[in-house]
Amino acid sequence: MSAHSPDSDDALGARLRTELRRYTAPVYLRGSIGQSAEPTRARPAWLAPALAAAATALVLVLASIPFLPRILPADPAERLVRSVVAEHTRALMWGTRRPEGVPTALPWLTEQSGIALPKFFGGDDRLVFVGAEPVYLEGRRGMALYYRDGDGHLVTYIALPYPGLPLPEARRVQIQNRWRPALMSDSGFSAWVWRQGDLACFIVADMVSESDVERFKDYFVRLRVSTDPVPAN
Amino acid sequence: MSSHEFHRAALEHLDALYNFAMYLTRNPPEADDLVQETYLRAFRFSHRFQPGTHLRAWLFQILRNTFLTFYRLRERESALAEDGVPAWDAPMFHDAPDESSGAVEAHTDLERALQRLPEEFRTVLLLAEVEGMALEDVARILACPVGTVKSRIFRAKERLRGLLRDYSKE
Repeated sequence: MSAHSPDSDDALGARLRTELRRYTAPVYLRGSIGQSAEPTRARPAWLAPALAAAATALVLVLASIPFLPRILPADPAERLVRSVVAEHTRALMWGTRRPEGVPTALPWLTEQSGIALPKFFGGDDRLVFVGAEPVYLEGRRGMALYYRDGDGHLVTYIALPYPGLPLPEARRVQIQNRWRPALMSDSGFSAWVWRQGDLACFIVADMVSESDVERFKDYFVRLRVSTDPVPAN
Repeated sequence: MSSHEFHRAALEHLDALYNFAMYLTRNPPEADDLVQETYLRAFRFSHRFQPGTHLRAWLFQILRNTFLTFYRLRERESALAEDGVPAWDAPMFHDAPDESSGAVEAHTDLERALQRLPEEFRTVLLLAEVEGMALEDVARILACPVGTVKSRIFRAKERLRGLLRDYSKE
């Protein structure tokens, strides 16, 4: 077979070069490959260590929050109200720990709370007794009584030993010419605060509007008249 | 060579690569996928390209290796088909349209004959004769000695001539 024969290698090679269709890449393919070739904007080299440092600092701050000193009110009444409201909130969220107890019939309650109840409000047509339990607030053992009114408000009565608790004079309210408790508020809750012998007594509820306060005053009267806590020893 | 220069230089060979992909796959959607995959791999592994060597040959090598990878995968899947019948028209890429829907018909005896050649013969003719590559580059793409390339070209042309003779008698 000569090099010039139509069947020669050279001729066949030439046919392959000239007779075969030549396919051209579609425009969209060129576009999509061109886009993928565009360099993505590289992250700055400092970004990763900066983010890591920020995350570490955040974790450290979060971990140290429980150890930071709490900013407490200087006024002892306000400080106690804050603790009492926290206890009320706990009961509101989780319920009372011993809801079945009738305080006058439970020697263990007197023993654990250090408070005796010669007289106790067991509920009426407005307030239903829910339960009683010992509490420990601001380093003092005390007793909590829980009631619920017809609208579902939880009303918490707490007695703590605190001889001579100073009450903020400006907040004291005259009720029935007999009592002058202080009406205080914390975290959206209202609290009556008064002294009863060597005890500091509190009633807390989420009753803050004007009409609610009138009703709250009525609850104070009912509890104040019928409940008589005294130090157990 | 900077990344930008590499991308620009690689894109200059797009038409040649697409043409090669078309003759390997005989299917435009599969050729699209094959070329895209080739460029993705080339850009991803651009750091492995040695400046001063033939970029064109390197890209063709990637394309052929990619083709063989998927082609063999398809063959293996076909062999594992429950009915034992190879699904030759199954798409090479899973997201590619059905091959039968977009297959390119051969228009001339030469195209028909070329399509009937085994892949290693078809490839060696396309690279050496159609693309005009040096035998050394073809050898690099096929990962075989230059002597093997020469032998394959010779045998491929023999086979091609036989097929063309058969067609001329029809």
